[in-house]
Amino acid sequence: MSSNSSPPPSCWTVDWTPPLSSISCLFLWCTGEIVLSIYLWGILWSALVILLCFYSLCRISPRLSKLPGWISKDGTVNLEKELKECAGRVFVDSQPEFCLPERELLDLSTIDVILISNYHCMMALPYITEHTGFTGTVYATEPTLQIGRLLMEELVNFMERVPKAQSATCWKNKEIQRMLPGPLKDAVDVWTWKRCYSMQEVNSALSKVQLVGYSQKVELFGAVQVSPLSSGYSLGSSNWIIQSHHEKVSYVSGSSLLTTHPQPMDQSSLKNSDVLILTGLTQMPTANPDGMLGEFCSNLAMTIRAGGNVLVPCYSSGVIYDLLECLYQFIDNANLGTTPFYFISPVANSSLEFSQIFAEWLCHNKQTKVYLPEPPFPHAELIQTNKLKHYPSIHGDFSSEFRQPCVVFTGHPSLRFGDVVHFMELWGKSGLNTVIFTEPDFSYLDALAPYQPLAMKCVYCPIDTRLNFHQVSKFLKEVQPLHVVCPEQYTQPPLTQSHRSDLMLELQPPPMPYRRCAVLNLPFRRCYERVYILPELANSLVPSEVKPGITVATVSAVLHSKDNKHTLQSVPKPPPAAPSKKRKRVIEEPPATLAPKPLLSGAVPLEAFLATLQKHGITEVKVEETGEGHILHLQAEDTLIQLEEDGTHIVCDNNEPLRTTLRDLVLRFLQKL
Amino acid sequence: MDSECVSILPRVCEVLAASGSSLPDDTSLEKLLDWLTTITQTGVSLLEACPCLLDFLSNVALNAAPGPGILSFTLKLAGLIGASEDGFKALEECSVLELVFAPHHWQESGLWEDPSLRIGWIQGLKAILQHSKALSFFVQADLLEPLLQLQTDSSLFVASAANQTLAHVLLLCQSLSSVGRDGTNKRDVEHNGVGVETNQNCSGVVSKVSEYLNESLVPRETSRLPRSQQILKLLTQLLVQVRPPLRETLLLTVLDSLEELATKSCSQLTLPLVDVLLAANSSLGDTDRIPKQRIGQLLSLVLDTKKPADVVQAAAALMRSHQTDPDHSAHAARVLLLPLDIVTGVSLVDKDSTDEELRILMTEQLQSKTCVSMICMCLTNMPQITVMAPDRLPCPQSLVVRAVLSLLRLCRGDCSSSSAGCVGVFRYVTGSSKVQKCAMEALSALSKSPEVKIGLAEVFKLLTEYLNCPLSEPSVLQKSYKVLINWIDVCTDLSCISDQLREDLTQAVRKRACDTRWEARDSTVEFLGHLAEVRSCRKSGGEEREPSNALLGGRAFAVPLLKEALQDPESYVRASSIAALAQTLTPSWQQGAPVTQEQVEIVTRLQEILSQDSEGFARRAVVKYFIAWFSSCSSPTSCPLLVQHVPAVLSQGAADLDWEVKLHTLQLAELLLDQAFPDPAPPHPYAVTPEGLIHGEDEESALLGSLNGVVDRGVVSALFCGLVDCDRPVALKACQLLLRLRAAVCPPTASAADTGVSCKLPGRSWAQEIRKIQGTNTDSEGGSAVGSEARGEAVEESSVGVREALRSLDLDGKLSILTQSSDHVYNSPLSLLQDILTASTPHSHLTSEPGQEVIVDCY
Repeated sequence: MSSNSSPPPSCWTVDWTPPLSSISCLFLWCTGEIVLSIYLWGILWSALVILLCFYSLCRISPRLSKLPGWISKDGTVNLEKELKECAGRVFVDSQPEFCLPERELLDLSTIDVILISNYHCMMALPYITEHTGFTGTVYATEPTLQIGRLLMEELVNFMERVPKAQSATCWKNKEIQRMLPGPLKDAVDVWTWKRCYSMQEVNSALSKVQLVGYSQKVELFGAVQVSPLSSGYSLGSSNWIIQSHHEKVSYVSGSSLLTTHPQPMDQSSLKNSDVLILTGLTQMPTANPDGMLGEFCSNLAMTIRAGGNVLVPCYSSGVIYDLLECLYQFIDNANLGTTPFYFISPVANSSLEFSQIFAEWLCHNKQTKVYLPEPPFPHAELIQTNKLKHYPSIHGDFSSEFRQPCVVFTGHPSLRFGDVVHFMELWGKSGLNTVIFTEPDFSYLDALAPYQPLAMKCVYCPIDTRLNFHQVSKFLKEVQPLHVVCPEQYTQPPLTQSHRSDLMLELQPPPMPYRRCAVLNLPFRRCYERVYILPELANSLVPSEVKPGITVATVSAVLHSKDNKHTLQSVPKPPPAAPSKKRKRVIEEPPATLAPKPLLSGAVPLEAFLATLQKHGITEVKVEETGEGHILHLQAEDTLIQLEEDGTHIVCDNNEPLRTTLRDLVLRFLQKL
Repeated sequence: MDSECVSILPRVCEVLAASGSSLPDDTSLEKLLDWLTTITQTGVSLLEACPCLLDFLSNVALNAAPGPGILSFTLKLAGLIGASEDGFKALEECSVLELVFAPHHWQESGLWEDPSLRIGWIQGLKAILQHSKALSFFVQADLLEPLLQLQTDSSLFVASAANQTLAHVLLLCQSLSSVGRDGTNKRDVEHNGVGVETNQNCSGVVSKVSEYLNESLVPRETSRLPRSQQILKLLTQLLVQVRPPLRETLLLTVLDSLEELATKSCSQLTLPLVDVLLAANSSLGDTDRIPKQRIGQLLSLVLDTKKPADVVQAAAALMRSHQTDPDHSAHAARVLLLPLDIVTGVSLVDKDSTDEELRILMTEQLQSKTCVSMICMCLTNMPQITVMAPDRLPCPQSLVVRAVLSLLRLCRGDCSSSSAGCVGVFRYVTGSSKVQKCAMEALSALSKSPEVKIGLAEVFKLLTEYLNCPLSEPSVLQKSYKVLINWIDVCTDLSCISDQLREDLTQAVRKRACDTRWEARDSTVEFLGHLAEVRSCRKSGGEEREPSNALLGGRAFAVPLLKEALQDPESYVRASSIAALAQTLTPSWQQGAPVTQEQVEIVTRLQEILSQDSEGFARRAVVKYFIAWFSSCSSPTSCPLLVQHVPAVLSQGAADLDWEVKLHTLQLAELLLDQAFPDPAPPHPYAVTPEGLIHGEDEESALLGSLNGVVDRGVVSALFCGLVDCDRPVALKACQLLLRLRAAVCPPTASAADTGVSCKLPGRSWAQEIRKIQGTNTDSEGGSAVGSEARGEAVEESSVGVREALRSLDLDGKLSILTQSSDHVYNSPLSLLQDILTASTPHSHLTSEPGQEVIVDCY
């Protein structure tokens, strides 16, 4: 197959291991009188199974375009045009496709609200909001929206750089898929996979986003209030509080307690939650971010000193800001002052500039810099001093200014598309060069699979600043939710390390685990509802004190409910007599015209009551104690009096005067309202 | 004794007796007592030298007006005086003795409540109890009872002092009894009619104390635990010091109580109990009435305790004592290896040989947080286990190595090799740097064991993994390097290390040299230096290779890394890299290998560091580098690079601001002096040296040649510069070296005016100082041209005759001044006494003129 004569092949692999926090999004349905669907967005990027392609790589490398096609051993299945073999592994040769979030359980058109946690997890938004009948609102913070837009734009740009090709579909046939090797055989829901969205769809999806600020309370149909809180993970990243007047649910996803560039995590507002839904913990619980950062720097310095180049496949926003800041301090210490750093991405410029303008979303130290005034991130100085240069792509200015040895930050971290592919091809053959993986979303071995054999050194330093199990235990001790709901994976050690009891959540009471497609009843009941009372009605009330400090009053009113708000209004006065018969009948029995019966309260004291009975000539009384109170058997009168905590019954057949007497005796001991 | 001090002392005593509130500082009385103690130690009678002290004692004892501090001092002073029989007699005669040592006297006045007074009483009593008269007084005054009461005093210091004094009383009884039994003294003693009484006193005291010990040993309630601990400590102290028959008496009295304690297994008492048993075990001989087996049984009883933490503690104490019999050592080793066995799953202890119940309990204990301390305790005792005879160990040492390696893997989160029985431990052990460090130390100790070499490749692999691991803390990395060096050091054959392992190690070291943490970089360069020093090992084929060559590619690998580290932003790393470079290059210096361009570059960089580096560590390291180079060079003069740079190093080093740099510079100068003026071989005692040959012309010219050499290299300038340095150690060293130079180049017979070699004095301040000293001394001797020049305050560069200067600088006088500590005046007894007097003056002044404030300006 030649890249000149036929459409260039693209290959995918599906041997993607779901990360620890694979359950990415939750659908919360507030039941009761209110029906409200809220889509809580967790780690969507993880759920987006990127079908890793090396399409753009094939355009550069004749080696890959000449890879042999796959034929089953017995020769019965021939998928030479769809599947390619490379270094013992089979890849799909097609346009990249993406696995969508779970759609079986719910109709997306019924979703009212989507709450987005951070920009990494909104990459599938167009798949949800476009062509699904979705009419709801999406809430996100401003940095989330802007940087999310950049990431989507970059993805679309990467896809559009290469001509569209036909999708491979034959292998998806169930009968054929069953016969395929390795991970392809085990891929699920392959028919639901979609091609990448267009920029138009991105714009349309993002137009549905409504911006919110931290701690801003947004009323949703009067039913609940939602409020984003800083989660400390990335610029504008949020945890969400969903609360009514009497219940509070916290949704914690993608949070970090480390001191990096974003505003620190707001923990105090998460206190007193009835339920805390916990997801988005670190995918690398054993990789300490500080250690990884150190490892990144030392490997980088080691390579540069030896005269090699360093390639860092990364997203254009997020950890890269911290990496650049770390390098800013490190390069002088390590005598790397003259080494050029290149950041290549279609959105490199915007990403670097956006980071400097979101001052209010940054950590305190960076915020104070703005008032000096200084740029909050030191990469501004790196750019000024020409140590860091950024380019939209490898073409144009970059090719004329490119100098080696150097450090290149570029995407995509999957190594299947984007400019990184060119550098892999350029530097892969030399053992002096190093590729350092810092993004935790992809297995670096899988990412490197199509490039084998590879002389370049590979270093895996996944930097995932999200909460680890130790931090989350301390955090939960601090905020003390009544119940914790979390993915099932968090409640047991990883399958491959069953001894690691430190890699699981151990809580008292134990957390409620959920698994894919499970429907959970959150462990609380809505018992109370707030009702407002109008002033004129309140004025008419006659309160009476039943106990010291407790005053009650009876209310006769009309309950008015609208937009989940309940108001007590005065009973309308009877309208003037209407001529129609039908009206008249209504007026005949107005509920308000009947004088309300007095309400009774208090308890009947047994001894005093017996004494009163005796005074009235009832002497033969047999008292029987029950679980709820007492039964008095008036033997001579053949009458029963049941005295219970919440009621008194007089069972007296055919003796109305006696019943009335007894009733009056009972009433003597009770208060009337 | 200084007469001036003697003359001042009565006034000091008056001041102290009047009031102690205006002492210069808290330590004055202690210093005064120290001085008086020093006097007694020289054999001088205190009362004869200072009769005022007796008046002071009686005055204070009767008056009791001064504060508890003075009273405490008074009691200690009484003890000091009464320690001699004459002093004791004098105290008795003036009735001071009974007064000061009677507790009720102080109790009545309410002063006994003050712990400082009780301390003074105890220490005074201890001091006085040196002879039989004192013992008689002790018994007759019935002072034993209050001393026993003080054993459990609320103040720990008082209780501890009382403890020691009680031991002292028993030891005195022992020595007095033995005097009584000694045939030579017996007659005299009996003749004096004192012997019987002394013996009675001794036996009475011993019996009362034994009874007390026995009664107090076993705590009847928890609140009594501290008392039991105290008694056990006392017992240990006594058993170590006393001899038979007192030792037997004591042991026989407390043996049952000790057994009761061993059976009770009270956690807080386990360690002190083991100490007592070990002391008893080591002191008992075969002829003693108490069989050693009985003590052995008690030790076994403690080691059979069912409380895992206690039994591990007891076993550790037993191991550390190095004095138990082989059976107990084996038992202790089994106990100490059991936690490792349980955690790692490596079968170190045969299940039949350990108590199943203990195993179960220990497994339970290891699931809790305390597992870290327990495992660490086991690991810290590994050095003792490694030296045990193989037949006493429950398993071969190679298995112990395997277990430690397995534990280290667990600490990294690798559970593949561990038993499934103790899952809970992983939570606490994984990532625990404390356990990692202890395990590394244990592994280091195990390298010394002869039979563990089989696991070399496995050890190397694990250490390389640790060095590679991004999560390893710098302290763990440092330990890993240390273990690696230890294992390489004992290794005779590195051929078992695969190429892949070498490559991994190389990468790890290279990476750590670029680590973001300076501690990790520092450990790495240190490692490279140490590796270069490890002696050569022999490959299986017989070919000899240096380990640094065999593992890391030798100098070609290390030197570029170390050169890079010379630019490190952290001064410690720069200093370590300089030291490591010296270690790495030493073999080539020793072999006299030709200088390479790389070495020239290094020396240039080192000169830059010496002249420009802002941190002392790096500059010190540079001078030490040249010292190492000069010392190891087979012929320093034949190395032009070294000869070329030494003058600059001496000049810059001598002018440095850091005193250690200056001192090291003088050490380098000393090496040059050693080379120029080697110590003459000691003459044969019967050899006759002809007069004329001592300073023959040839010899003189050789001497002048050598002198010229050291002057040209800047040695003499450096020494002159050092001589007037404000840092005493520098000046002292320079003075000593100049004296040595004078002895070598200024023969006593030569005339003082001879001229020869001259040394240039720059226009710097130190040169002016030299001229000044020289001028002063020569002026006093009649004046000279140099002196007048010096007085003229010439600042221009000039020359001075070296020999003349050496003679005129009064080096001997300078040496005697420099040898005294810089605070010798401030710390003299006279100064102390004057201070006490001075401190009392403003007090009296204030009382006479109230309202007038005394403003003391400190600076």
